[in-house]
Amino acid sequence: MDDGHLLEIRDLTKHFGGVVAVNRCSLVLAPGKIYGLIGPNGSGKTTLFNCITGLERRDAGEVFFRGERIDGLKPHQVAHRGIGRTFQIIRVFPELTALENLLVVTREPFEVAYRRAQELLRFVTLDLLENEYAGNLSYGQQKLLEFIRVLMRDPELILLDEPAAGVNRTLLNELLAAITRLRDQGKTILIVEHDMKVVMGLCEKLFVLDYGEKIAEGPPGVIQADPRVIEAYFGR
Amino acid sequence: MGVTITPTMVGQVVISGLLAGALYSMVALGLALIYGVMRVINIAHGTLLMLGAYTTFWWFRLLGINPYLSLLVALPLMFFVGMLLQRTLVARVVDAPELSSLLLTFGISIALVNVAQLTFTSDVRSVEFLTGAFLVGPFALSKSRLVAFAVAVAITAIAFWFLQKTKLGKAIRATSQSSEVAMVCGINVHRIHLYAFGIASALASAGGSLVAVMVAIQPEMGQVYTFKSFLVIVLGGAGNYPGALLGGMLLGLVEQLASLFLTTQLSEAVAYVLLVLVLLLRPTGLLGGRAT
Repeated sequence: MDDGHLLEIRDLTKHFGGVVAVNRCSLVLAPGKIYGLIGPNGSGKTTLFNCITGLERRDAGEVFFRGERIDGLKPHQVAHRGIGRTFQIIRVFPELTALENLLVVTREPFEVAYRRAQELLRFVTLDLLENEYAGNLSYGQQKLLEFIRVLMRDPELILLDEPAAGVNRTLLNELLAAITRLRDQGKTILIVEHDMKVVMGLCEKLFVLDYGEKIAEGPPGVIQADPRVIEAYFGR
Repeated sequence: MGVTITPTMVGQVVISGLLAGALYSMVALGLALIYGVMRVINIAHGTLLMLGAYTTFWWFRLLGINPYLSLLVALPLMFFVGMLLQRTLVARVVDAPELSSLLLTFGISIALVNVAQLTFTSDVRSVEFLTGAFLVGPFALSKSRLVAFAVAVAITAIAFWFLQKTKLGKAIRATSQSSEVAMVCGINVHRIHLYAFGIASALASAGGSLVAVMVAIQPEMGQVYTFKSFLVIVLGGAGNYPGALLGGMLLGLVEQLASLFLTTQLSEAVAYVLLVLVLLLRPTGLLGGRAT
């Protein structure tokens, strides 16, 4: 089945013990757009990311990527299909150099991978630090490195978990510009973000989670005015 | 007791300590590797060393060829044995609570020791080869220990080159730095686990081949090496590969120095006292933190 969706999640449910982290959540992503996934803390955003990328096994529901089932695949298989992600807390490989962080994730021949890695390092102006251990880079630089590591495999769908958190304004603008450029190249991006200015400015469509349930979806302007969303964030 | 300790004696034990230490480092690197990528403490590590020692023994007994050449057979053989163990058994407990993997590898160890007892009997064997020592100035350097040192240094150097420079080596280090991220980045960590266990088994068995020429060979000989390797990786910081090298050298030195000042029985205990002290005072290892 291929209906032009890039990613389709159907009735996804995930429990942790007695707690329902994601509850019958469904959403559809079309290619070439930037989407936002928002909701209060603990509403299931990261768990949803984990279920898509195969780090968590869903209890019920289905995930389709380019028309094929991917729930049940192992994380590296999901990555090979063309989904990349970053983490809420930066996770570079601290004892590998910046360059090695990039090279270690590809399966391409060294020459090709090396050229791509250098391009990406230049793209985020880290090219002078390619031989520095990632653990020695500043917070912002590590964030950029993690971001371009996702791009190394040239994924179709990019999941970003709080890209703006702890990033200064200048760096943030660079990141946002990079994300927009990726979208212009035809990539699809799903962003979990708490910074509403970022979300509203960047995303074409938002999904709102609360207690693991999708309570709203739509363009940022509509979501901002949605009483259920306001209630979820500020209480009754 | 009552014997004066001369500088020559101290020099002699330092040399002996370093010679023994290189071997400890190599063997413990295997244990560190398994712990690093899977967070599994492999109780069967010394048992794999025992299998390496028997390989060398039978090679020498049946073929009568230089026992060191048996490394050429033992290493690949134990690499595959290790992969087989990982594939069939250890892979099942990688993400389980620590106790599961401890029990499983303990079980593997008991099973392999019993298989060895049944097939090789409990007779104590030895490989009579390269006895005697070189006399260098006032120091006596046991020939077999010198060879063991040289081979261990060479194998360890190759292992480090592999970890530092090759794609697979880097993927192994990436996996031990963050298994979850490695997965999401498309690294097949199950495959990495397989290679890591294979390499670790080969390192242990290389230790077995080298000590076969020096010590008595019997099915239970491996246990003491499991304990010593564990001590080494605690000294160096669990999962810290350069730390394993430092820890091995340190253990060799401490053991030999202790033998100079204490009775044999007491000097055996020194290693364990050291283990307790490090766990109490510096549980992250002497180098602190992780460096893979």
